[in-house]
Amino acid sequence: MTHMAAYEKGAGKRDISISEYFRGDYMSFQVWKSALYGILGFGIIVALNVLYDFSTFLTDFYKMNILEYFKDLAVKFGVFIAIYIVVSYFIYAYRYYRVRKHLDTYIRLLNELYAMYSNEKKQ
Amino acid sequence: MVKNQIIRIYARYENYILSVLRFILVLIAMLMINSNVGFMSRLRNPAIALIVALLGSFLPLNATILLMGLIIVGHVYELSLECAVVVLFILILMFIIYFRFSPTDSAAIILTPVLFAFKIPYVIPVMLGLLGSPLSCVSVACGVVTYYVLDYLKLNADQLASSSESDIASMLNGFKYVIDGMLKNDTMFLMVIALGLTTLLIYLISRLSIPYCWKIAVGAGSIVELILLLAVGASFDAEISVGLAIFGIILGALVGVIIEFFAFNVDFGRVEYVQFQDDEYYYYVKALPKVTLEAPQNKVKRISTEE
Repeated sequence: MTHMAAYEKGAGKRDISISEYFRGDYMSFQVWKSALYGILGFGIIVALNVLYDFSTFLTDFYKMNILEYFKDLAVKFGVFIAIYIVVSYFIYAYRYYRVRKHLDTYIRLLNELYAMYSNEKKQ
Repeated sequence: MVKNQIIRIYARYENYILSVLRFILVLIAMLMINSNVGFMSRLRNPAIALIVALLGSFLPLNATILLMGLIIVGHVYELSLECAVVVLFILILMFIIYFRFSPTDSAAIILTPVLFAFKIPYVIPVMLGLLGSPLSCVSVACGVVTYYVLDYLKLNADQLASSSESDIASMLNGFKYVIDGMLKNDTMFLMVIALGLTTLLIYLISRLSIPYCWKIAVGAGSIVELILLLAVGASFDAEISVGLAIFGIILGALVGVIIEFFAFNVDFGRVEYVQFQDDEYYYYVKALPKVTLEAPQNKVKRISTEE
C-alpha cells in the first residue's frame, strides 16, 4: 500500500497523466511539440549563421537568387525537422512503453490489494 | 557500524540533507559564474549568489537553471552586446534540446561545469550513467558546452570588451569572432563525445542482468573514456592533460563505489511521506526503507581488583 501511495505521489503522477492519452494521441501531441521546438531551434541556427558573416550576407543578398536561397533553406529545414521529429518519436515511444510497464505493475498491485480487501470482508 | 549510522542519519534528515546539498551546489555554481563572467557589478554581489542558492534549495532545479542562464546573459551583456546575443542563442538551443529530451537531469547541468572547474569532470559519466537515464548524455553535453562557453568568455574578456566599443560594422564582425571562439573548439567537442558516450555506455552495461554489472559498467566506462580521450584527443589536437584525465577517471571509479553503496544500501530518496485511506481510516505515513540493521550494543565490563 505504501509502495503504491509513494508511486502515486512521485513518478506515478506523471505516468498516470501520460496514460490518460491513447498511444497515438500522446505520440502525435509530442511530435507536434517537438516540431515547434525544432522550428525555434532551426530559426536560431539560421540567425547564428547569418550573424556569423553578416556583412557578406548583406552584400550578397542583393546579388543572389532569393528563390534559390529560400529553396536551399527549405531543404535544410526539412532535413533538420525530419531528423528531430524521428528522434523525438523514438524517445517518446520508449517513454510511453516504460510508463505502460510501470502502470501494469501498479494495476497488478491494486488488484492484489482489492483481492485482499474482498477476502477480509468475506471473513 | 559506520554504514548503519550513515543510513540512520540519512533516513532521519533526508529532506534537510538534500536541501543543504542543493544550496551548496547552486552557491558553488553562482560563485563560479561570478568568477568567470562576473562583468556586471550589481549581479556579482555575493548577496545575489546567496539569494539564488537559497531559492535553489527549495525551488525546482530547472527553474534555478533558467535563473542562472538569465544571470549569465546579464553579465555577458555588460561585456558586449554581440557576446550576449550569441550566449543567449546558445543557451536557448541547449534548453530546447535539454527540456525536450532530458528535463529530469537538472543537477547534471549545474554539476558538470562545477566539476570541470574543479578539474574532475570525468566523475560525471559515472554518476549519471549509474543513476540517470540513457538521455543523461544530453545533459552532460549541455553542461560541457556551458563550461567551455564560460571559460572562453573568462579568457577573452579583455579582447571582447575592447571590440564592443567600436562602430556597428566592427560589432557585426565581432559576431564572427565570438561564434568562432565559442563554437569552434576541438577540446569542447572531444569532451562532449567522450563524456556523452561514456555516460551512455555505463548506463547500458549497468542495466544488464549480469552479476556485478555496476562494477563492470564503471570499469568498462573508465577504460573507454580514457581511450576516447587519448585517441580522439590526439587526432583532434585537443588540449587534454593525460595525468589529470587518469586521476579523474580513477576518482570517477571511486565515486562509482560510493554511489553503489548509497543506491543499494541506503536506498536514498526512498523516505516517503504518503497518505492513503481505507473504509475506516486515513493514514499519514512516513515510510523508511527497512534495510537498517540494529547497531550492536557495546557493553563495557570493568574488571578491577579494587572494591
